Amino acid sequence: MIHDMIAIFQDYWLLLLIGQYPNGPLGGLANTLILSALSIALAFPVSILMALARISKWRLLRWPVTVLVYVTRGVPLLMLILWSYFLVPLVTGADVPSFVTMLTTLVIYQGAFLSEVVRAGIVSLGHGQMDAAKALGHSYLGAMRYIILPQALYNMIPSILSTFVSTIKDTTLGYVINVPDLTFAASQVNNQLLTQPFQVFLILAIIYYAICWSITFLANRLERRITRKRAGLGGGRAAEALAMPAKIASEQL
Amino acid sequence: MTGTASPQDPTAIRISNVSKTYGTYQVLKEIDAEVARGEVVVVCGPSGSGKSTLIRTINRLEEINSGSILFDGQNIHAPMKTSALNQLRSRIGFVFQSFNLFPHLSVVENVSMSPIRVKGVPAHKAHDKALLLLDRVGLADKAFSYPGQLSGGQQQRVAIARALAMEPPVMLFDEPTSALDPEMVGEVLAVMKSLAAEGMTMLCVTHEMGFARDVADRIWFIDAGRILEMATPEEFFSNPKHPRAQRFLADLRH
Ligand SMILES: Nc1ncnc2c1ncn2[C@@H]1O[C@H](COP(=O)(O)OP(=O)(O)O)[C@@H](O)[C@H]1O
Ligand SMILES: [Mg+2]
Repeated sequence: MIHDMIAIFQDYWLLLLIGQYPNGPLGGLANTLILSALSIALAFPVSILMALARISKWRLLRWPVTVLVYVTRGVPLLMLILWSYFLVPLVTGADVPSFVTMLTTLVIYQGAFLSEVVRAGIVSLGHGQMDAAKALGHSYLGAMRYIILPQALYNMIPSILSTFVSTIKDTTLGYVINVPDLTFAASQVNNQLLTQPFQVFLILAIIYYAICWSITFLANRLERRITRKRAGLGGGRAAEALAMPAKIASEQL
Repeated sequence: MTGTASPQDPTAIRISNVSKTYGTYQVLKEIDAEVARGEVVVVCGPSGSGKSTLIRTINRLEEINSGSILFDGQNIHAPMKTSALNQLRSRIGFVFQSFNLFPHLSVVENVSMSPIRVKGVPAHKAHDKALLLLDRVGLADKAFSYPGQLSGGQQQRVAIARALAMEPPVMLFDEPTSALDPEMVGEVLAVMKSLAAEGMTMLCVTHEMGFARDVADRIWFIDAGRILEMATPEEFFSNPKHPRAQRFLADLRH
């Protein structure tokens, strides 16, 4: 069994790593990581904009985004992927590559989740910080940028990492719309071998586990460091702000 | 009440007929009052009487329902661009009961960041100025500490330095010593006294009657949203006219 797995790995490691590339599109683990990294890199600023919209005093901004966040959080990701896959080409008439469909869906999905963390981080700072900023003459956006967000986001670092972990796991769903990722590569391997599905998918699981575990490990260490640093620095408010993302981080895996 | 007052106008703040309600509850009732340039006014009154609300309307942290508040001849509550409001606010120093320092910035950054970001002062100048101000409030050695590493009294002195860094002609204080342990009250009051001695225009909500007696030019006594008495400290402490003021002072002495 172990021998089978080593043999499979020796024969197919390149396919698992980069898919059909350079004879076909980039796939495999490389594509999984690129897709995850791009999603989180885009979801992060999107989540800040969504959070700002949700605490905005303008209803025209607040309501649509609130609805979007609620719907996104209340619907399975697979459903969102299928909607994007079938509806977007129907509505726009354009032929969107499955990678882009998957990326967009993940950005909105993870952006909605992260925006709740950002919002909680902002709200838990209390009014005092914004009052002080205003009293000194800072504009609303200036206060957000230099005073509120740096505090809220610093506390969020662990939950950004854990969102990264769940994004990596979520990319496997791209399989249903033929995104050539690691899962897709593994199923190609399985189709060629036909007789060893258990071994193939065990290799797949081990790879995912190793990656996700490493990032979670990193997130937990960071989280502890931040807790310690904040305990030395901030008052009770900072500790409260931290409690929430920290909880999310430990719940993800 | 349209003011085009010159800088020679002897009035720093003119509060005219200001009323404010929270829902159906009227917190401020037709307040009329003035603070002259260089004057130190102490505002006192029972808890919940509207002192914080009043002082926060002066830099428009709270909106009002009617009336006007002139600062340097400009109505702070007139409809205006937010940039104009920010500009006005930057010239009114405000010190909070709970300090509200920025915990993610070092002490010197707390003091220098607003001149840099709001007034466009070059960073090295703002930094040097911040060090001078910290020296002035007796905290030169804490410049590179973080607020969480300071005592309450030290934090409040940093907060005063932070407000002074914007070079405001007027300083507002909302119970600056109420959140402090008793042994730290003195160090904050000493800084406020030195400010007053230099001729700063100050409006201080405080229950420190020693400070009021020594430093204030006038005392406003507020109860239930009305200024019931405006008097010099001598008059107020020796011969308060309003029965509520008499009761308030009697309660304080116990
Ligand atoms: N945001 C608010 N909403 C409703 N009521 C408020 C609010 N802020 C203050 N109040 C009420 O207004 C009154 C005056 O409050 P405040 O100005 O803080 O009093 P003081 O500073 O004199 O203790 C109090 O009765 C308080 O409960
Ligand atoms: Mg108060």
